[in-house]
Amino acid sequence: MHSIYARINNISALLSTSLMCLLGAIAVSSYFFTADPKGLLDVSSIQVFPGNARRYVNKNQDFAFVNFNVSADLTPLFNWNTKQLFLYLSAEYTNPQGIRNDVVIWDKIVRRKEDANIDIAGRNKYVFREPSSSFKNIPPAHYTLKYNVMPYVGVLTYGEAARTKEPVAFPESRDLS
Amino acid sequence: MRESDATLLSRSPKDGRGASETCIHSLQPFTAILSFPQPPSPYFCQPSIDWPAMFADELKTLRRLGFRHVLLQILNFASVLASGLMIWKGLGLITNTESPIVVVLSGSMEPAFYRGDLLFLTNPANEKYHTGDITVYKVPGADIPIVHRVLETHDGAKIGRRASIVASPLSQDQLLLTKGDNNYIDDIELYQGLEWLERKHIVGKVRGFLPYIGYVTIAMNDFPQLKYALLGGLGLLALIQRE
Repeated sequence: MHSIYARINNISALLSTSLMCLLGAIAVSSYFFTADPKGLLDVSSIQVFPGNARRYVNKNQDFAFVNFNVSADLTPLFNWNTKQLFLYLSAEYTNPQGIRNDVVIWDKIVRRKEDANIDIAGRNKYVFREPSSSFKNIPPAHYTLKYNVMPYVGVLTYGEAARTKEPVAFPESRDLS
Repeated sequence: MRESDATLLSRSPKDGRGASETCIHSLQPFTAILSFPQPPSPYFCQPSIDWPAMFADELKTLRRLGFRHVLLQILNFASVLASGLMIWKGLGLITNTESPIVVVLSGSMEPAFYRGDLLFLTNPANEKYHTGDITVYKVPGADIPIVHRVLETHDGAKIGRRASIVASPLSQDQLLLTKGDNNYIDDIELYQGLEWLERKHIVGKVRGFLPYIGYVTIAMNDFPQLKYALLGGLGLLALIQRE
């Protein structure tokens, strides 16, 4: 009963149990940080241009280009169990057929608390296109800034930090050529 | 093909850990070196481990305990395996996904997920996916599931004729586009000819995260000898266990 094998067994069992309890406690502690910071988001300009679809050379496709200003202080979201923030800006609109669309046009990873007070004038990073290939007769879209808090250990949480006050309409498509 | 490939996944091991509390008397001389308080034992003055003698010892015990004991130990071992499988499948039933716990195999979601991280998935049947959710999906033709973040959702849409998108009468129909955090563009090239992901391709969404633990399975995949050694060792321990 006092062999070295039994001792190793006991010690490793104790260590792994306490490690699991500690990790569980850290994961649960995230539930007590209930920060819900809000910021400001406005769209400064939208332009729509026609172009070629990615896969079909003959198919025409409208592309929207969005410039936006976003400012938000997200430092309260950083606690001891925050590994990083994933910020993303998405356009939400329902097209005339009743399809609800949610398209991410920009994102940013924030890894340090010092960088979490953001004030950015940006434009879309990802292609913004309508599945029906044209933005004609598409109702105005809301733009929202959302975040995903990614922990060192535990549950991933989501939230919304900013939203445009009024939905923003899509302009007429302009052919540059 | 893109150079930064998809974040690939493997299922985590299905078997539980066997009870492995076994005393091997021949190892006792080491306790003297580590100076634990130790009652004198008949083996105390044995100069070194005599492996053939040790196995002879074990074989003798095995012979003494008889055939029924061996059968009982095999039964014990089988019940450990079976309960592991039951826990895995029960978890799958509760979370509604075929693999509730997965291991990250590559780096396309860095710095969020690294190789060897453990992810816990759920797939609620009556809940839609949202942008920003991290999904695990498996498209037909690809043999390994991929974990990437949702970039676009189109609720109430389905693929119509000639790859057009039409409104669907079923409210749970949804078309998704995904992208890895560490990739520059979206995943269309990974979809094996599809243009959108549909709900039926999604295995689940990442709800919880545990770093590093999955490295065990990666090591076992990279070095199969390790896997066989572990399984063989567990089996042997279960057979020669005395109590």
